[in-house]
Amino acid sequence: MGNTNPFSKLLKNAALLLYALFALFPLFWMILISFKHDREMFNTVFLFHPTLENYKVLFSSNEYIGYFLNNVYVSVGAVLVSIVVGVPAAYALARFDFKGKENLAFTFLSFRFAPELLVILPLFLIYQKIGLYDTYFGLIWVYQLISLPFIIWILRGYFEDISPEVEHAGRVDGYSWWRVFLKIIMPLIKPGLVAAALLSFIFVWNNFTFALLLAGQGVITTTVASLKYISSDTVHYGQMAAAVTISALPEVILALLIQKHLVRGLSMGAVKG
Amino acid sequence: MADIALKQVTKKYKQHTALNGVSIDIKDKEFFVIFGPAGAGKTTLLNVIAGIAVPEEGVVTMNGKVVNSIEPEDRNVAMVFENYALYPHMSVFDNIASPLRSPRYRQPESKIKEEVHRVAKILRIDWLLQRLPSELSNGQRQRVSLGRALVRSPEVFLMDEPLTHLDAKLRHQMRAEFKEMQANLNTTTIYVTHDYLEALSLGDRIAVLNEGRIEQIGTPDDIYYRPATEFVAEAFGEPEINLLTAGIVRKGGEWYLNLLGDSDHFTVPRQVKSVIEELQLENVRVGFRPKDIKYSFTDDSASMLRAAVYSFEPLGSKAILTAHAGGQLIRLIAPADLEARPDRPIYLKFNVDEAIFFDERTRRFIARAGEKGGRFVG
Repeated sequence: MGNTNPFSKLLKNAALLLYALFALFPLFWMILISFKHDREMFNTVFLFHPTLENYKVLFSSNEYIGYFLNNVYVSVGAVLVSIVVGVPAAYALARFDFKGKENLAFTFLSFRFAPELLVILPLFLIYQKIGLYDTYFGLIWVYQLISLPFIIWILRGYFEDISPEVEHAGRVDGYSWWRVFLKIIMPLIKPGLVAAALLSFIFVWNNFTFALLLAGQGVITTTVASLKYISSDTVHYGQMAAAVTISALPEVILALLIQKHLVRGLSMGAVKG
Repeated sequence: MADIALKQVTKKYKQHTALNGVSIDIKDKEFFVIFGPAGAGKTTLLNVIAGIAVPEEGVVTMNGKVVNSIEPEDRNVAMVFENYALYPHMSVFDNIASPLRSPRYRQPESKIKEEVHRVAKILRIDWLLQRLPSELSNGQRQRVSLGRALVRSPEVFLMDEPLTHLDAKLRHQMRAEFKEMQANLNTTTIYVTHDYLEALSLGDRIAVLNEGRIEQIGTPDDIYYRPATEFVAEAFGEPEINLLTAGIVRKGGEWYLNLLGDSDHFTVPRQVKSVIEELQLENVRVGFRPKDIKYSFTDDSASMLRAAVYSFEPLGSKAILTAHAGGQLIRLIAPADLEARPDRPIYLKFNVDEAIFFDERTRRFIARAGEKGGRFVG
């Protein structure tokens, strides 16, 4: 900190720039491919004739829009259910002292450890049996395994940062517990809630395994739909890249919109340091 | 405005007993101070009265009505929290206005504006109303949290160490203001502190709490001059009271105290004698406040005890002199400009007429000779 040496500053910026290039290159390459003709796909020369052909094919039928909407339904549904369940769960883990609390919290987190493939076979059989296979509800339900642990673990920290006295003050001021929760607690955890919801949305939106194996022709999401561009004789890399680019857009737009909420620090200064 | 009473209240946190059979009677409009060291259960006591903590045993009454099962928002109490507990996302104005906007104590918006400005003016934070709590100093936050309580007219004010985190100068100033505020408010106030000066200067009555139990409830004079236990005696006064074990020596008709090996000069005062006789004590504990021990560097009279200077701490207006005698350290007050090198011989004169006597076995108060501090009780 406070290093004003122009040379070291230059070096630092160069390193950061290099890393940015490294990290963003796959994204850049994907966008590049989406504007290429199939015949130029394997050219080793960088020059190509940009075309919107791939995007045109993509939107020539309503099919892709359908997949896109499917993904919106299951992802938004999953995140909403996770918020409704996760916020009270996180509050309970942060505030109340009960037997097996840490074990329970760890169990929630462990949902993220197990590889999806480990649980997918039993889930597949169960889903077939009880008729959840290839339904919106089925996917929303199984997506909880991904989104719920995020919401619970991020929000637990936020709840713990709010001193219980702030809640007590609200009660003494004449607000019922519910009003304290909505009027005082919720605004304070909002940055955390937004961040957690966004993160879990991204993970759910990008999920491939569950969508591939627990849904058939009824509920195809964009991730699974990418497979459709692999035909028996050739792979339409251009269309695939275009499809993936479109499906990445909502995440990018959402992240940009709520960037300011991702900044933490609202609860600082509430209680003495 | 309310009478508040606690009867045999016990509050446990898991295995830890925070309050153990506490009974207190607080009269209407009283300024009642709860004093105790850290971890004594002071805050728990306030939480029980506010309804934030529910006791396992005992009842809390307000104006004679049992309020154990009444929610905090319906008790009409105002509380100032030790860590301020301001709402970080609201401006100072909204913080202070919060109780007046609640469903329970709602006021019209014009009235709220008027009240908030009135209170802010008293607390001299009217120029900060648009700021967020994070933009305030600790002293200012403190006053905002005070304002949030004062804007209401509750049954009782509960104040949890409101001055603890202020710097010494501001604390002194606020203490004086509290005293004046209390006179104008005309409302029952329960004030928690671990500062004995605050307790003595503010309280109409003081309850001394130790490890969840009440040691003594009394007026500041009672507490200082007739402490119920050695704990109370040690907690009030700086430097601490000197407690010495003394045997009772009977010589003819007179009784003497055997203080630090001298059994010829310390007559047991008449009033104390009868109590000791009644209790049939062989040994007593005698407490001397540092101000009640005089000293000299020359052996002026036979009743003086020889000691040696152990340490000397000048504190500006006065100094604390610690002397070493008979294996005991004795603290007394001396002028700050005294020349007192360690190991210099010093002669101490104990004023037995101001001494406080405790039972050696129970460490409880038995008697004192002087009449100061109210009536004479055994």
